[in-house]
Amino acid sequence: MAQIELSGICKTFKVSQRPEGRFAMLRGAFVRETRLVKALEGITFQIDEGELVGYIGPNGAGKSTTVKIMSGILTPDAGTCRVMNRIPWRERVSHVSQIGVVFGQRSQLWWDVPVMDSFSLLKDIYNIPGPAFIKRRDDLTEILGLASLLKTPVRQLSLGQRMRCEIAASLLHSPRILFLDEPTIGLDAVSKLELRDFLKGENAKNGVTMILTTHDMDDIEALCSRVMVIGHGRLLYDGQLEALKTRYAPTRRIRAELERPVEAFYLPGAEAIQTEGETWTVLFNPTQTPAHEMVERLAGRLPIRDIVIEETDIDEIIATMYKEMGL
Amino acid sequence: MSKERSSFIGHLRACLSIFRIKTAQGFQYRMAGLAGATTGIFWVLIEITVYTIFYTYADTREAGPMAGLSLEQAVSYAWLAQIFFLMQPMSIDSEILGKITSGDVGIEMCRPMDLYFHWFAKTAASRLVPLFWRGSITLIAGLLMPLSYRLTGPATLTGLLFTLISLFSAFLLCSSYAMLVCAVRLNIPWGDGPTYIMMLIGGVLSGGYLPLQLWPQFLQGFLLIQPFAGYLDIPLRFYVGTLMPSEGGWAIGLQLAWSAVFMVIGKTLMSRRLKNIVIQGG
Repeated sequence: MAQIELSGICKTFKVSQRPEGRFAMLRGAFVRETRLVKALEGITFQIDEGELVGYIGPNGAGKSTTVKIMSGILTPDAGTCRVMNRIPWRERVSHVSQIGVVFGQRSQLWWDVPVMDSFSLLKDIYNIPGPAFIKRRDDLTEILGLASLLKTPVRQLSLGQRMRCEIAASLLHSPRILFLDEPTIGLDAVSKLELRDFLKGENAKNGVTMILTTHDMDDIEALCSRVMVIGHGRLLYDGQLEALKTRYAPTRRIRAELERPVEAFYLPGAEAIQTEGETWTVLFNPTQTPAHEMVERLAGRLPIRDIVIEETDIDEIIATMYKEMGL
Repeated sequence: MSKERSSFIGHLRACLSIFRIKTAQGFQYRMAGLAGATTGIFWVLIEITVYTIFYTYADTREAGPMAGLSLEQAVSYAWLAQIFFLMQPMSIDSEILGKITSGDVGIEMCRPMDLYFHWFAKTAASRLVPLFWRGSITLIAGLLMPLSYRLTGPATLTGLLFTLISLFSAFLLCSSYAMLVCAVRLNIPWGDGPTYIMMLIGGVLSGGYLPLQLWPQFLQGFLLIQPFAGYLDIPLRFYVGTLMPSEGGWAIGLQLAWSAVFMVIGKTLMSRRLKNIVIQGG
């Protein structure tokens, strides 16, 4: 039996709107117009223990809503959801003691007190036995390099430092499932890499199931083998990341800066060529022509100053998917 | 049974822990306390001047309510009111309010705790925090004033004991009413209006602005049984000696009964709100 099972989950929100036209503001004070927004329209999926799943989609697609339903803080209008054989919102307290959440834009640490105090508080909140707590805390402190931060008030930490503390805080009670909502938002490249390494290690070592929502394609690529794409409240894709890319974004792009402008000519393997002054943009399919061959062919015939190979980013993939599905 | 019991103890420990961390956090705001105390002390001095004028020029024997409370008692009352009105909820705890309006309620609900008791611990702590600096500075100032402005000692020692017990009940009452206000505030679209009205009513009826004994005679019965007398007026009456320790049983019982009523309503309202709450923002 899967650890997380959702079937036919629907959720509708009521959004109040101000009426339009003359004296709208005045009328709005007395009469409220509400509009129904369908956030989720029948989401169904299953996740097994120990999986690392990327959950992606544009803003407003329903990612956070799904995460909130799975973590038991939101009740869906229809559909069933079982996480570790419990209905999250019915048995909220026993459910949340088994899960961890990290919201990149929100803090669960106490702003004015040292990190250590927040950890001790979490020990009491989650009722973690003393020795287990100390061991877990020391492990996390070591792996995440928190030793020098523990005595600092949270308000004096940098974003990267705070994020590491947040991750540690969400794992102190050894949850079986970890929900990460944009954990790398606003972090610099080095911090991102460290965080990804840590999450990967934690998943491999302790078998923690992780569900990651993000806009950062590199996060997904580094961490997740399975991705779920959501758009307009529906699940558009659920499967391997590689398969998604070959299906919706098979081409890579080479951007070459030249010494002088050169007119476009036929190049074997290139699917499309755009020239704009001294910049050449060449689209090719790496499954048919390997990247190094493509670069060699270009280098042989063009006066190249600089060259970059780019992958289609997630937004473009989503845009392609939308177009294809007529959304 | 034993499992339930250990989980109850676990919850209690968590609540105490929250209470501790929150009070420790508040303890560091010394300057805010000093600034607040300065304002408070000036306010009491103005009050005392006004009382003195009234007591000197009015015919106190025939002035109804004023007959029940001497000038000296009124002065002590004013000082103590200035200290202990700090326990009254005058605004929702800024941390909790922030969580309600920003949608961080979601994170709070990801904790394996009942949100009511979790927030009760926080609210109770923030009732106590202003007493540390602002309250104690005001108290010392009151004791050091020249004679006619001074906070005099309690009427009797038993009276003092009852004052202390009654202050503890007042602390429970203030916290449970603050939680009721919080539960109402969870109706996010309502904004701050209703909650401020609720808290203002409490403040006025507590005797913080004018000792309840100096209110019109025909209101006295109502004033004593309404919940907010328990905020301030009941403990202070024990201190100045207008409420005898022999009446302590019902007076403190009344405070506790109102606390229980507020807790039940607050908890019910809160669970109902949380069932169909919409977590704000992303």
